[in-house]
Amino acid sequence: MAVPSNIDTEDESSVKNYLQSNHYQPSALVSSNCINNQNMKGSPSSTVSEPSNQSHSTLGDPNFVENYFKNSRLHFIGTWRNRYRKRFRTLSDGFNCTSSNIKASALKTAIMHVDMDCFFVSVVIRNHLELRDKPVAVCHSDNRKGTAEISSANYPARDYGIKAGMFVRDAKALCPHLVIFPYNFEAYEEVADQFYSVLHKHGNKVQAVSCDEAFLDVTDSEGDPQLLASKIRREIFETTGCTASAGIAGNMLMARLATRTAKPDGQCYIPPERVDDYLSQLPIKALPGVGYVLEEKLKKQNVWTCGQLCMISKDSLQKDFGLKTGEMLWNYSRGVDNRLVGLIQESKSVGAEVNWGVRFKDVKDAQNFLSNLCKEVSLRLQGCGVEGRTFTLKIKKRRKDAEEPTKYMGHGDCENLSHSTTVPVATDDVEVLQRITKQLFGSFHLDVKEIRGVGLQVSRLESTENSKQGLERNSLKSWLTSASARTEELCKNNYVAKESSNQGCEGEGDETLGQLCGNSVGLSIQMDSNTSNGAACLNEVSVPPPICHLDMGVLKSLPPELFSELNEIYGGKLVDFVAKNKGKTENMNHTLRAYSHEKIEGAMKEGQAALLPSMVFQNEIPVENKAKQHIAKEVPAVSGAESFVPASGLTKTDLIPSSLSQVDTAVLQQLPEELKVDILEHLPAHRMQVFSPNVLLYPTEIPLEALGTKTAENNSGSKDFVLDNNLWFGTPPHWVEKFKVSNCLILNILAEMYYKSGSTGNLSPILQCISSVSIHQLDAFQDGWDEAMYILCELLKQYIKLKIELDIEEIYVCFRLLRRFAMKSEFFIQMYNIVYPYLQALVGENYGGNLHMSLKD
Amino acid sequence: MDRKDNQSPQGETARILVEFLEVAITSIVFLKGVYPSGAFERRRYMNLVVQRACHPQLRDYIHSAVFGLLPFIQKGMVERAAVIFFNTDGIPVERFVFKLAVNQSYGSKVEDANLEFSLRSFLIKLSVSESLTKVLPRDYRWEITAYFRSLPEASANKDVEQWIPTDTRQWEQPPLLTPIKSMSSEPLCVQLYIEHPSLSEPKP
Repeated sequence: MAVPSNIDTEDESSVKNYLQSNHYQPSALVSSNCINNQNMKGSPSSTVSEPSNQSHSTLGDPNFVENYFKNSRLHFIGTWRNRYRKRFRTLSDGFNCTSSNIKASALKTAIMHVDMDCFFVSVVIRNHLELRDKPVAVCHSDNRKGTAEISSANYPARDYGIKAGMFVRDAKALCPHLVIFPYNFEAYEEVADQFYSVLHKHGNKVQAVSCDEAFLDVTDSEGDPQLLASKIRREIFETTGCTASAGIAGNMLMARLATRTAKPDGQCYIPPERVDDYLSQLPIKALPGVGYVLEEKLKKQNVWTCGQLCMISKDSLQKDFGLKTGEMLWNYSRGVDNRLVGLIQESKSVGAEVNWGVRFKDVKDAQNFLSNLCKEVSLRLQGCGVEGRTFTLKIKKRRKDAEEPTKYMGHGDCENLSHSTTVPVATDDVEVLQRITKQLFGSFHLDVKEIRGVGLQVSRLESTENSKQGLERNSLKSWLTSASARTEELCKNNYVAKESSNQGCEGEGDETLGQLCGNSVGLSIQMDSNTSNGAACLNEVSVPPPICHLDMGVLKSLPPELFSELNEIYGGKLVDFVAKNKGKTENMNHTLRAYSHEKIEGAMKEGQAALLPSMVFQNEIPVENKAKQHIAKEVPAVSGAESFVPASGLTKTDLIPSSLSQVDTAVLQQLPEELKVDILEHLPAHRMQVFSPNVLLYPTEIPLEALGTKTAENNSGSKDFVLDNNLWFGTPPHWVEKFKVSNCLILNILAEMYYKSGSTGNLSPILQCISSVSIHQLDAFQDGWDEAMYILCELLKQYIKLKIELDIEEIYVCFRLLRRFAMKSEFFIQMYNIVYPYLQALVGENYGGNLHMSLKD
Repeated sequence: MDRKDNQSPQGETARILVEFLEVAITSIVFLKGVYPSGAFERRRYMNLVVQRACHPQLRDYIHSAVFGLLPFIQKGMVERAAVIFFNTDGIPVERFVFKLAVNQSYGSKVEDANLEFSLRSFLIKLSVSESLTKVLPRDYRWEITAYFRSLPEASANKDVEQWIPTDTRQWEQPPLLTPIKSMSSEPLCVQLYIEHPSLSEPKP
């Protein structure tokens, strides 16, 4: 219902020369053909000079972001829909109800697509009849030598080869007498409104595509659709003074293509029997949805026209381009389109992006820019009536060897980076946006001088009406304020824990790292990019703390990518450190865990029923991560911030673990029944799928649980080599050595079988050898069960990845053997069940089907 | 075969592969009992006993189909070649798929003996794979279909014109795969597997 994200992105051409008059530098006078209302007669006037560097970028203008969007055409298009919805709300609501009837008359549907001809130019010159046949373009700047880009050109101008996106200086070279106009946003609004008034007069099923383009379902209209089209076009011309073109066909796709033929100022009807003819020679890029990337891919396959596209089978298309796109290509190349007029696509994201004029001197500049960008995005969210949960910050970073771009203040050759984060509660609040954006920005750890473009995109949108209903927001806030009072008590408790755990660590006074870990756990923002939490905070802590100050528990529970990144920072010493401390910290963990049990029980007795779920989790994060003392420190800090950001309410809920796998099941088991249910209910539904309540009650029997929680403790020592994906490298493969020295029976057997089977490097001979051992013996161990499970699953996954492309037979043989083992062994059942989905997913990806594991053998 | 094809390792490999495909496809047709066994005669190939079609039209169809692929296999354009058995409605019942990959950048000379040894294992495995296949319905037909990585340029080669778009329908659900044999011997990788409709596939 909101701004479609694709047209919402700002590009360089969208900035008007808003500071045109600010800096005159007489030495650099340039004459130009600038036409505005004052000097209309076309007399050339020398005006604009080369503006100073400063005023045009983020360097000199504190209100850069605001001005940028004020003068942006794409911004106008992007926010136009909102205006349209307000104005024509009743109309479009009315037809929404009828849209379900459309199907009934699907037999002879007639769809009309109406599109104004070069809207941005025609509107500006609609009162200047004398310019109608002259080449005219619209651009924010009329500097003859400028690198501003043409945004729209009329047909006479196009005859000279002038296209949108061209630099003004190139356009002027092609056509010296090209007249350039600035935007006139008021006029655009006025004409767009008139345009839609005409459309709504003639049909009650109107779907707005953009300010100058719409679909009408004219199936139920009386009379010939072609006559209707001419009538509509005539009326549009009479009211707006601008021409429009129309296409009529049996569906939206063909109607749109018909308009393509009809332009300019014409109309075209494609009857069903002519569809095939029309499509056979049509270049693929004419199809909506086929952009540059898709076009290039298809051309590589030697597909240039829809006719050629028809020759490719649907399954090949789906294999190459994905299920949805493949299906779309298959349908569109045959002129099939099942969309109904009126089904407005909900936009998936709202955002704003600035890729022009971005130059920062220092971090303060950048922060200031970001907070303004957040203001803009927040306004857009509010304008669209939505709130979002996922925030993506996109940065354009100058490439190392890139020179200053040809385009003045443009972004030039850039790397595109992006990080994103998801919060539990949707928001449009500017303060929250600013806080999140600041964090995301930190996670890039970039030199701000290298930044050439910044964009903020908000997705996972929810309608504001829904979330603001009820008292949800308020109650959450009140709940949080009461919670912050309680946390003080909590942190007193934790203080003791801190002291005891410090004994386990070498050294003391890990002030900096405490902060670091506290941040990373307390905010629990899920970063779905390469860098994650800890690294984000590292940015603030410029020098990493000495290695002996690191907290073992935190290290171990770090996500693998992060661990390896930290390891790099410490020059690889971290792995040894972890190994050395393994035994030591494990002892410590036991004491800590016992301690936390007591505490939870204590809390229960106090009868803080309403608070318990959150309290429990706040306790449990430390238990699991063994970073208790840091959490405790973080909590008061967060609640302090709460008073400054009253509307947010996000920080608190973030303390709930992101999944049940982070919850210590031992603690959970000791809780009374109702409380357990309560906790489960308080976790969002999608987190439930991983763990059914049963799982929680009998954790030892469940393989996922074993992987989820225990491995994090036990395997951090071995992780370093697992993570590298190289278990199968070398002769003998790395795993053989590792397994030989392991103290786990099953791993020893595997290593032994490797040599026994003839050291081929393939898994199936090894498994065959194992089948000669009596399988049920393999279950006869308890120690290191989880560790063995983890490492074996990893071994299998890496093997599948290695072989999937070239040797599916080998994989098939292995899994048939494994399934046979699974019938006799608990251990192998678990392993099989964990790896099987992974296997089928990869087979599907590579072969477009599933491996047939029949039950015969 | 003109001499040019034999110069690059890819050309040589492609020639051996095409020959192998001809034999393997004949074996599949024999295995499925499409024609009475009298329609085949025993021959020796790679030191194995194989079947060869007696009927000139059948022999020509298989021969011309696979040898038509030769130039494209050399260029690495053929991704899969399939023998498809389908019922009277054109819905496939069983598909034997050869997945091919020819390493285009491989420069050194191919050890023919190695390659033949690997390919031989396909024929041996195929001859004992009948239990993995499905009983075909009455009145079924079969065809050879090739899947290209890209559309061939129509003007470039007249061989292209021998290939026509297939009318055979597709399954709506991803199929079930039963691997028969895989081999990888530079510069060639061949895999043979059977595809059957998934259990959730709507029954015809």
